[in-house]
Amino acid sequence: MSSDVKPTEVLDVRGEVCPYPDVKTQKKVKSMKSGEILEVLVDYPLSAERIPPSVEKKGHEVLKVEKTGTGEWRILIKIK
Amino acid sequence: MIDTSLMLSGLVVGIIFGFVLQRGRFCMNSAFRDIILMKEYTLLKAVALAIVVQMIGFHLMATMGYIQLYPKTLYWGAMIVGGFIFGIGMVLAAGCASGTTYRVGEGMMGSFVALLGLMIGGVITSGGALIELKSYLQPTEGALKAITTDNPGSYVGNSNLTLANVFDLDPWIFVAIIAIIILAVLIWKRGGEETKVEGTLYERIFKMGWSWWVTGITVGIVGIIAFLAFEKYALGISGGWFGFLNALVTGDPDKLNWFTFLVIGVVTGAAIAAGIAGEFKLRAPNARRLLQQFIGGLIMGIGAVIGTACNIGHILSGVPQLALSSILGGIFIILGCWVTAYIMFMRG
Repeated sequence: MSSDVKPTEVLDVRGEVCPYPDVKTQKKVKSMKSGEILEVLVDYPLSAERIPPSVEKKGHEVLKVEKTGTGEWRILIKIK
Repeated sequence: MIDTSLMLSGLVVGIIFGFVLQRGRFCMNSAFRDIILMKEYTLLKAVALAIVVQMIGFHLMATMGYIQLYPKTLYWGAMIVGGFIFGIGMVLAAGCASGTTYRVGEGMMGSFVALLGLMIGGVITSGGALIELKSYLQPTEGALKAITTDNPGSYVGNSNLTLANVFDLDPWIFVAIIAIIILAVLIWKRGGEETKVEGTLYERIFKMGWSWWVTGITVGIVGIIAFLAFEKYALGISGGWFGFLNALVTGDPDKLNWFTFLVIGVVTGAAIAAGIAGEFKLRAPNARRLLQQFIGGLIMGIGAVIGTACNIGHILSGVPQLALSSILGGIFIILGCWVTAYIMFMRG
């Protein structure tokens, strides 16, 4: 796994079901400070597709969406 | 025992349906819940489009004489109570009947547990400990008894009510009005969230999630194929699983129905789609969530039997037939979903 950007915090929602990955990500993003980086680990396809546009809609920056393995994704979000 | 050609057609339609569900992430629980939870309408648009495609397709085939429509019986009390119970269950189970079924094919053990709950809930309500509840809400006499018509209209193969025959009007009037309204809203609201998709056609079909309109059209077409194949109804999920458990418990192969082969096909098709996309993985949430999903499944099963169908039987297959039973049941599935989603995720 390339670690080009060092995340401030990691949210591991692997194993979680709909809509917990989305809800927990939104909550976590809200609790973090501007400029911090959140790494989300998710293995739920629908959430992996929906989390990036949903945080972008709130003005945060998605640095990377990476498929790290079978049915697993890593999403890097920079807080606005 | 159902004949071999029906078994095969159920299985084949199911495999295609499962493939489409997995690629399109087609889940009505997400579709309805996320309207209020996330102001997210993508899956809802897929559901609406699938309904329009089927509504036109079913009525076209009925007009040409290939099929007759079989709207479900209107037990109004049962539709309200059963629909609402089902809606509560699907939020707890983290998936509707079809969402739960295709996710089993992705290797999600939480959905597998929800599915076991669904089967048990259905069987105890249709022929077990909770049968009184079902008989009370689907009585042969009294205020809650079935409302039928003596004049079902030329397309309808039973005596159940549709939007068309209740007003004694041509169904095409309603088909045209509903289709135009939904398509106009979909076109009007289309822009914005669609990100540009890159990749070869192979990658876009087999590796990436589908756009909502591709999903909506393909689900609709699968529904039309299902009606042509089975002839008595289009798609359904919960009844297939109840038949499966009933056949296992009683040892009577006559309990297996067309939908049983369809749902086995759905799990298979979803597993194939997930496998090709690199998304198949055996995975489980924590113990608390597993329990929640099991209870959710159980509640869905009870609701599906009381309300005579799940989200697929009512919203995907019944609403396009303009069945009053399915419209009422569908509304209460959505209300049950919203109330539960509000309590679980949005308070405070």
